[in-house]
Amino acid sequence: MQRRDFDAIVVGSGISGGWAAKELTERGLRTLVLEAGGPIDPARDYVMLTQPWELHFRGWRDRARQERERPVQRRCYACDEWSEKFFVRDDQNPYTTPDGKPFLWIRSRQVGGRSIVWGRQVYRWSDLDFEANARDGFGTDWPIRYADIAPWYDHVERFIGVSGQEENLPQLPDGRFLPPMALTCAEQFVRDGMARQFGRERVLTIGRCAILTTEHRGRAACHYCGTCERGCTTHSYFSSLAATLPAAQATGRLTLRPWSVVHSVVYDPRRGRASGVRVIDGETRETLEFRGRIVFLCASALESARILLNSRSERWPHGLANSSGELGRNLMDHTMGGGASGTIPGFEDREVFGRRPNGVYVPRFRNVTSSHPDFLRGYAYQGGAGRAGWGRGGGMAGFGAELKRALRTPGPWSMNFYGFGECLPRPENVVELDPERVDAWGIPALRIHCRWSDNERAMLRDMSVAAAEMLEAAGARDISPYVQDNPPGLTIHEMGTARMGRDAHTSVLNAWNQCWDVPNVFVTDGACMASCANQNPSITYMALTARAAAHAVESMRRREL
Amino acid sequence: MERRDWLRAVGAAVPALAALTPDDLLAVGRAAHARAGSSGEGALTVQQQATVAAIAERIIPATDTPGAREAGVAAFVDVIVGEWYGAGDRERFQRGLAELDDHCLAFLGKTFVEAAPGEQDAVLTGLEAEARALRAANPSAPRHFFDQIKGLTLHGYYTSEVGMRQELRFHVIPGRYDGCIDPAAIPAPTGGGGL
Repeated sequence: MQRRDFDAIVVGSGISGGWAAKELTERGLRTLVLEAGGPIDPARDYVMLTQPWELHFRGWRDRARQERERPVQRRCYACDEWSEKFFVRDDQNPYTTPDGKPFLWIRSRQVGGRSIVWGRQVYRWSDLDFEANARDGFGTDWPIRYADIAPWYDHVERFIGVSGQEENLPQLPDGRFLPPMALTCAEQFVRDGMARQFGRERVLTIGRCAILTTEHRGRAACHYCGTCERGCTTHSYFSSLAATLPAAQATGRLTLRPWSVVHSVVYDPRRGRASGVRVIDGETRETLEFRGRIVFLCASALESARILLNSRSERWPHGLANSSGELGRNLMDHTMGGGASGTIPGFEDREVFGRRPNGVYVPRFRNVTSSHPDFLRGYAYQGGAGRAGWGRGGGMAGFGAELKRALRTPGPWSMNFYGFGECLPRPENVVELDPERVDAWGIPALRIHCRWSDNERAMLRDMSVAAAEMLEAAGARDISPYVQDNPPGLTIHEMGTARMGRDAHTSVLNAWNQCWDVPNVFVTDGACMASCANQNPSITYMALTARAAAHAVESMRRREL
Repeated sequence: MERRDWLRAVGAAVPALAALTPDDLLAVGRAAHARAGSSGEGALTVQQQATVAAIAERIIPATDTPGAREAGVAAFVDVIVGEWYGAGDRERFQRGLAELDDHCLAFLGKTFVEAAPGEQDAVLTGLEAEARALRAANPSAPRHFFDQIKGLTLHGYYTSEVGMRQELRFHVIPGRYDGCIDPAAIPAPTGGGGL
């Protein structure tokens, strides 16, 4: 008979759930991890060695089928002919948006969650970020500062392995890095040019990424095949499947249950605590209940909000732990797509060997030491420089042996800067349960109301102008600035919806990611974020999860939980 | 219980995989992904496929490496035109093929396939000029047949086993990274037949 009682229940097995599982089991708790999707077997499901000629559409995807089954997911670059199975089917997982407010919700349901296909970029926050809401009044003040999370960033980096270059910039603290990946000649040229013009104000550095440059804790160094999103059979990039779930498994205290769609958290009004969770079996549709002394929601920002909103009872008619009315509110995503590209002259006698699964990074420089007239907060660039490949052939005149010979060697070097900006937390960006739609398991779908504000639009324009300035300073030619109009959601950094704060009236969670109203329920995924900074958020979710897990176990030992 | 067994297997496999060389990895990959893309319904007749193969071979001819014909580009074009193209693109492609042979019969007295390579090149040069004029007159016009077949040929060739292994000397597992290397220092691809 299957066990139904656990010390801890973790909802979700992605980047946050994997960390909760590892930390809770290593601290002695018998832990149940519930994953809505199915198991992943790297030997069967990872396709990093599958070559284009082995695919029916040679990487161009089955267009008609994607339009039927994954009309939203296909907007993500990684939802391609190799990797679309790592994304949900939209026809089984609906959500709604009002007219004129498109939102793209890119999702995975599988053991490992989106950590199988994540972008692997990891950047610490600084106090510039943790103090942002208090400084300009948007959102509510974070209940923590950099000093509270710094040891947990250390803890996470030591385990996952992060390659990067120390730069000693106050707005982007250095971490515990493995050796950095190399820059290309053109990137080094632009770094030098920017240093001449901008000094330490605008710095180009190699991306900091959770990809190993040396063997680390039994995982192999990257072999530079270049397509991480197809799954890595050497586990060279961090995923929960590669590292945290095996660590949890090694304790002997982990129970992992795939095909477990969490319907709601069960509330015991007599004790004022959650008693466990209600689950719908993804295969049999049977309703089950599991009991736990504590519950960690790590299902992703929108899924965790959806579970809490759907956990309605007489005591909590508007969703569990929602006395503040803030549950579902303050949804954010990074605004992306302002930038510029240009040609870098020279270096014709140099090429690139290997496919580096990483780019370059220009840390935030707006509103760091001076104040920008057009917008609050700031943005960073990701990008890179390489030589054009055979793809340029379509734009070249002619055909025949001469074209073939020309395409055998790479084309000119070009450099691109692509901006990712901070989005202000605003209460009107909100999710609620749709009164009519349900998903394939009968659970109410989300209705998502989200729109960029003027601040984000002003930032996008500046990303484009400032990127062109940097390319010009470096000596690039044929500089093309651009501004893309990407709907919120597509950056896949959605966060907010159950923010941490300093009091129970204005926030859902306290400084330990613990629901003010129901103290044995913790939310440690992107839902907890009180602001979004401009850094890729996953490392902050990991650090907050580990910190919350340690706190939860200490509280249980003190018999407070 | 059985659902959890996979995880134990993954954990155990990690150190073993870490010790594999690139060649070992390739052997694993070949075993795991032996299946090849099958051919689809087929939108093109045998005769049309022969014409497509002849055009593709003039766009990417055999030189010191095989060309588009040996790389099987026509079969890829058949899949895309039949299963991937929308109705408008498909119709334009089919019409382009028909008009090409009409033109060849009118001016050369034979089909494109029957024409000599020099004659084929002259016909394609004329088509390319038409495509260029169309782009200049209306940049948002649907793509001309020449641009369609050229784009499909390049993609089909450079994603084929021949195109990637022999022409581009593609390293499936480079094993290291150098962002600024003298091309003479790039090693030859290892493993069977350059893979």
